[in-house]
Amino acid sequence: MGTICQWLNRSRSHDEDTQGGFSMNAKSVDASVEVENLRRVFESKQNKVVALDGISLQVRPGEIFGVLGPNGAGKTTMIRILSTLLLPTSGNARVMGFDVAKEPEKVREVISMASGAERAGYDYISARGNLWFFSQLYGIPSAEAHGRIRELSKMLGLEENLDKKFYTLSTGYRQRVTIVRAFVNDPKVVFLDEPTIGLDVMTAKSIREFLVAQAKERGRTILLATHNMAEVDAICHRVAIIDGGKILASDTPSSLKRSLGAPALVIEVSPIPPPGGLELLTKIPGVKGFTSSIDEERGLSRVQIVVESDSAAERAIGSVQAGGLKVLSSYRQQTTLEEVFVALVGRGFREREHEHAS
Amino acid sequence: MASAWAGWQRDFGWTNPIAGLSLKTIGPIASVLTASTVYWLGSSAARSFDPTNLAYILVGAALYAHVAAYSWVPSLAITEGKWSNVFTQVYISPKSSPPYLAGRCLASFATSAITSGGSLVGASVISIYLFNTGLPFVLTPVSIGLLVVALVVNIFASMGLGFLLSAYTIFATKFEWALPVYVSGLLMVFSGALFPVTLLPWPVSAVADVLPFTEFIRAARVALIAGYPGSFWYYLGLSFVGGLVFLVLGLAAYAAAEHRARRLGVVDRKAV
Amino acid sequence: MRASLWLRTAYARMWVRTKSIYGEPLWVVVTIGFPLFTSMALSLLYKSSNASQFTGFAILGGVMISFWGNVLWSMASQFMWDKQAGLFEVYITSPAPISAILVGMSLGGVLGTAPSAALVALIGWALFNPAISPAWPAVLVVFTLTLASLYAMGMALSSLYLVYGREADSINEALHEPVSFLSGVYFPQQMLNFPAAVQIAASLIPLTIGMDALRRTLFSGEGLQQISFHIGVLALMAAVLLVLSQKMLKLLEERGRRAGTISVRIR
Repeated sequence: MGTICQWLNRSRSHDEDTQGGFSMNAKSVDASVEVENLRRVFESKQNKVVALDGISLQVRPGEIFGVLGPNGAGKTTMIRILSTLLLPTSGNARVMGFDVAKEPEKVREVISMASGAERAGYDYISARGNLWFFSQLYGIPSAEAHGRIRELSKMLGLEENLDKKFYTLSTGYRQRVTIVRAFVNDPKVVFLDEPTIGLDVMTAKSIREFLVAQAKERGRTILLATHNMAEVDAICHRVAIIDGGKILASDTPSSLKRSLGAPALVIEVSPIPPPGGLELLTKIPGVKGFTSSIDEERGLSRVQIVVESDSAAERAIGSVQAGGLKVLSSYRQQTTLEEVFVALVGRGFREREHEHAS
Repeated sequence: MASAWAGWQRDFGWTNPIAGLSLKTIGPIASVLTASTVYWLGSSAARSFDPTNLAYILVGAALYAHVAAYSWVPSLAITEGKWSNVFTQVYISPKSSPPYLAGRCLASFATSAITSGGSLVGASVISIYLFNTGLPFVLTPVSIGLLVVALVVNIFASMGLGFLLSAYTIFATKFEWALPVYVSGLLMVFSGALFPVTLLPWPVSAVADVLPFTEFIRAARVALIAGYPGSFWYYLGLSFVGGLVFLVLGLAAYAAAEHRARRLGVVDRKAV
Repeated sequence: MRASLWLRTAYARMWVRTKSIYGEPLWVVVTIGFPLFTSMALSLLYKSSNASQFTGFAILGGVMISFWGNVLWSMASQFMWDKQAGLFEVYITSPAPISAILVGMSLGGVLGTAPSAALVALIGWALFNPAISPAWPAVLVVFTLTLASLYAMGMALSSLYLVYGREADSINEALHEPVSFLSGVYFPQQMLNFPAAVQIAASLIPLTIGMDALRRTLFSGEGLQQISFHIGVLALMAAVLLVLSQKMLKLLEERGRRAGTISVRIR
């Protein structure tokens, strides 16, 4: 696995690996966000949790940088440190050149942060009133603030709801207000933690289009923590895959997917195997890992297996059949970022979240 | 039973019961002391101080607060339950919401009975010290037993009031948390807690005179204060009958409100 | 730039508080309940004790309790509610000074509570017609200083509530009535035979000094010179509590950043 991580993190100079005009040679460009050996440990009487275990990364100006990982991987902890809500245990982090631990006031002037979990606002004030209020926390003159609110709201389809009281807005519109709030102070760097979680498809799409426009046209740096692979695929210039507080790989989404080589094998098996019943797959040479989901209604399990080659795929099918399971169907599918994760960790997001929870 | 347990956990889940009860008793002690001090100051200035009247106020102030503390709990259960989605789950369960609300009310009755008993004792002891007086309380197993009977009988009226308030709360989208303040205030003024209801203008005094809460406090005074005029069983009987009326009215109002709320689709509408 | 940011933040926070209240007329109905009923009940109690001359104490108490309730439930607990809603972390990650947010909240609280306090006074007046002998300049000075020191106390308490979270409700319940009693909101507390330790503790509450000064200026006609000691103490309390609240919040912010508790959602 260490070899895979090293291989995936290697810089490339091929044109096909250049996205949005960015060169992969990060050191030649000043970074908006720099993280070096960042570590954060939470200690309580009952236990000690290492939320971040020495991560390092750099994000360039105008880049949409995804941080992808299951729940409990350390994404939110990293966002909290970079947005000055949390101090690191060790290591360094700088935003626009300012140290997050020693110069939080300077960092706060150039950043904003929004979380999908919050939808924060004062219920009895209109959306417009709430946005104006938040703009004042950054010292923006009222006339200018109202202009920005109008412009940003138009981009997100929020205009008609601006004068409604916050508590009357649906979840989707409240989240749009949250996103506008994150941009009303004209930040250089925006930290977004699961910004589209729980939203309908159209609202999520509007927000993503908005983020892309903000990065491209305004040169804002956006650091996006998410476990939504489609979102990362759609809008991120680069992505870091994080698990257990460590960055396992960091590259463009297309490069990461290409690195796996063979397309993933998907098989449907019956009956549903007992817990641990598919562990035999990990012992097969050429199989990097797997993730599975259960279809109770049809009485089968759908297994995605990351394989290095076609022969490994054949061995995997044979092994499953030898284990007494019937393979109802099998096909190869285009590699997704989850398969990259599976290749790195050996398990899928769902399985890792269960492990983190226990 | 499960609902009563849930209510107890909600009140004391964040601390141990002794600490929680202590914190919940401090406020009522101060509230009772405020009333007794106002009486002492006024009557001393008018040279009409009477320890029996002080005892009258101590009992009234402790007991109206007791009723106020648990009669609004069904409303609280609905408001909190809507916020946390617990109420929706309870509503669609086989027995639906009335037993849940009743259970929460009973859990709170137990807590407020302890805290109001504590506040009466605490405030009495402090009053004796502060005002340098004795108090004509009768503290025997019989008198305490009669007080307990009165407290239990009063559950009917308080629960009825609780369901009446719930009939409003099930529709409320805001400010329902202000209800206990109004309940407490109305009881303070209209249940003879601090002064005879005859001081109020007619017809308000006539209505206040027959409220089950007024009769409950009168019964408690007869049980606890030596020489207090009246018949405990007469007042208790009136409290019981009035309580039954309140309970029937409350349940009927709540049933009608529930039905209407279901028709309008607001049972699971969250309050702000 | 910093002064401009401070002023904008304070104004905006004040605006949010007052707009929430005045934009929803029911707020006045909601907030008037406790002070009105309590002052009416205690006025009737004075009256039934043949001491109608003291009904003014109960009405004045109702007015000031409106503000004390606002300090506890809307001021001191506000950051806890903000933390629950995710707003507190928005404050912390912005360049806005916390002091400006607190002052804005206080001013908004005073303006928002003023209508219900005024109604308590008017209704009490109409029903009981208490006898007063006011020295108005002194009344105004004392009233302003009492509010300033009360809200400064609210600011200091807000930092405690950040730490205790959900338990804040119980702390509020435990503080509300005892403080009213110890500080003599409805009666001159000096007339009570408190032990020295209790007397000293009560004197540290701004409401104690403020209520005494208000009664002297409103009912006994004492002027600025006669209550100069009270004025000095209230001004000092306001200043000390303001500075204390700043320092406590800064300390708690640092602690929160170290422990990771700033953005913990409290349920």
